[in-house]
Order: sequence, then structure tokens, then C-alpha cells
Amino acid sequence: MLGFGNRSDSDIQTSLKKACSSDEVAPKRKHVRACILYTWDHKSSREFWHVLKLLPIQSDEVQLFKALIVIHKVLQEGHPSCLIGGYKNISWIESIGRFSASSGLKGYGPLIKEYVFYVIQKLHFHHDHRGFNGMFEYEEYVSLRAVSDPNEGFESILDLLSLQDSLDGVQRVIFSSVQRNRDSECIISALVPLIAESYGIYKFLISMLRAMYRSSQSDDVIAPLKDKFDVQHRRLYDFYADCSTIKYLSTLVSIPKIPPTPPSLMVDSNEPNT
Amino acid sequence: MSTTKSVIRSIKNVANGYSSVQVMVRNATSNDPTGPTTAQMADVANHTYESGEFLEVMDMVDRRLNDKGKNWRHVAKSLTLLDYLVRFGSEDVVLWAKENLYIIKTLREFQVNDLTGTDQGAIIRVKAKELTSLLRDDERLNQERELARQKMID
Repeated sequence: MLGFGNRSDSDIQTSLKKACSSDEVAPKRKHVRACILYTWDHKSSREFWHVLKLLPIQSDEVQLFKALIVIHKVLQEGHPSCLIGGYKNISWIESIGRFSASSGLKGYGPLIKEYVFYVIQKLHFHHDHRGFNGMFEYEEYVSLRAVSDPNEGFESILDLLSLQDSLDGVQRVIFSSVQRNRDSECIISALVPLIAESYGIYKFLISMLRAMYRSSQSDDVIAPLKDKFDVQHRRLYDFYADCSTIKYLSTLVSIPKIPPTPPSLMVDSNEPNT
Repeated sequence: MSTTKSVIRSIKNVANGYSSVQVMVRNATSNDPTGPTTAQMADVANHTYESGEFLEVMDMVDRRLNDKGKNWRHVAKSLTLLDYLVRFGSEDVVLWAKENLYIIKTLREFQVNDLTGTDQGAIIRVKAKELTSLLRDDERLNQERELARQKMID
């Protein structure tokens, strides 16, 4: 193989340092991308976590928040081993969350706390359910497996629902801090991975719930899941509507469009997914 | 202006010891505002059927795809080229692109603003999205390659 020199030698330390700089702007995509590519090129996330833990960011709320965004992006788009590496480093991620709200003047305290909670929950989820990738991109076989084992399916759906709940929590905290100062690009940029992830979870929930309805005899068992899904659907609809009012977001990523009313879950699989 | 640049580029081609196929790729994905032309892309596609030259082509495409924001035209044009190669090039290109899908996928959030502040990343984001979905859809990819084969025979 010819050496893909430019990239393999790229220094992850420099990329991470630049991605988690103290400037109150979004983490630069090119540095985040360099971290993601590094994990694929080396098929390992060890170096990423190692370097990240050595960065002197613990005293700066902006740097900590940016580090969390970088972690989230790498978990989503990086090599699958990142999720395993992240699970091993949960206690370190937890230590970020101990940044107390009083020691930060810019008000990142609550944001960091909520985001840490979410990232940890995500890591636990991926640890318990190995079939999902970091971005929750649609893979049919997971829903097939859920049908063959209704108990496992029930549990997966329950866990997905509660992950979506905490995602909604982060999203709310972000929006409430954005309202105080309008052009806070740094805070808004945290919504980018959340939009993609919430939509991935949403699509999974629909296909798994539909599969459950097809396979199980009594609808009563699934009814509480469906009620919860309907509530989440409405919140998600509002979330995407809020996001599309922010120009920075709508030019950068395509914000998914979902119908204002929850889709029916008892239709045939032949019907196009919404 | 652009003539000076193309002279400099031809010097670089010699100085860095690029092979003739690699020069071809570099010309097709340069910072000139126009191109790549179909003729240029077809030339490159033909060379992907030679096993030695295939790697040289992909090495250059890989470098162009990972170029910095200032050279956003390199990135945009190499996405155009790669899209063409996936349809008209050898089967190896498809394998390479699938193996290295993360390089393309991560370009879906490419950001760059030129000196006037206009967003030039949008074109790259759209191309990357389109190419990713093509590579994920084996059925469509086979159809497109079949269509391309028929076009080449005509």
C-alpha cells in the first residue's frame, strides 16, 4: 500500500489541543475531523483518550464544554473502538461533570453537567446494546433481532426511550442558555451532534415498535411504550422547529422534517418510513 | 494569474516526482475555477483499470480529499472525480471508497468561508452526502455502474 502520509502522521495532540482551545467558538470542524480520521486510520481510540486526559482543560469551562462536544462527535463518527474506549473512561468523563456551577462565570456549569450525564448514558447504552453504531444509523438487523426476542426488544426500546429523554434534557438546557446571549456559536454547535442522534434514535424507535406490534399478540403490553413515544414525538417536533430558526444550524446540517402528528405504528412494513 | 499558477504546478509535479497519472489527477482537481472536464475524468477512470496506477490515483485523491479549507476547490473537485470513478472506474475504486467511507462521511460537515465570508462548504457537504448515500446503496450503485458501462459502449 502506498503511504497515505499526510494523514497518518498527523499529530492528534495538536488537533485535540486546537479543537479544545479556550476561544468561545465552535470546535473547528477540521480538527475534530482529524481526530475522527485518526481513530479510523489506527483502528483504535487509545491515543485519543490518552492525549485528551492529559490536556490542561480542567479549570476552563469553555474548554471542558468543547472537549465534551469533541468526545460526542468522536463517539458518533469515529472507529467503533471509540465507544469501548469511552466506556473504559467513564469515570474520567464523570470527573468533568464535577465542574461546579459556581466556579464558572460564563454559565457553562449546568450545560456541562447535563451533557456529561447524557454522554455517560449513551456509553452505557452502547455497552449494553452492541448492535448500534455511534450515530444510530439505520441497520435493519437490529429490529429483526428484536422481533425474534420480544423481551430483548422491549428492553432495547425502553432504553432508547430513556436515552431520548436525556437528550431532550440537554437540548432544553442549551436552548435556555442560548436565549440569554444570541450569538453563542459555541453552545449552539453542541446541537449539531444532538440533531443527528435524536433522529437516528427516532427512526430506530419507529421500526422497532412497528416490529413489536407485528409480532406480539397483545397490544396492551406495548401501549405504555407507545404513549411515551407519542410524547417524545411532539417534543422532537418542537426541537427541530426551534433548530430551524437558527441560521448557523440550518445551513450546516439538514434538519430532519417529521410530521406534526405521531406516525401510526400499526401499519405494514411496506409503507414508506416517515 | 492562472498561467503563473499552472506553471508553478507543473514545476511541483516534477519536483515532487509525481507519476503521469498523478499529474492527471492533480490537474483535474486543481484550484482553477472550472472543471474537472468529463474528458479529464474519463482519462483518470481508464487508468484505474491498471493495477499499479490504481493505487497512485487513489493516493492522490485521498490527499486532495483531506486538503485544508483554503483549498476547498481541491476537496470539491476530488469528490466530483471520485463520484465519477465510482461509476466509471474499476471495481477496485468501489472497494476503496467503501473501505474508506469515513473519509467521505466526515466531509458532510465541511465548513469553510472564503474571503468575502460566503459559505463555500455547502457544495462539499452536498456532494459528500450524495456520494455517501450512493456507496451505501448497493442496488443503486450496481444500476449506476451498469448504466455507465452501456454509455461507454455507445
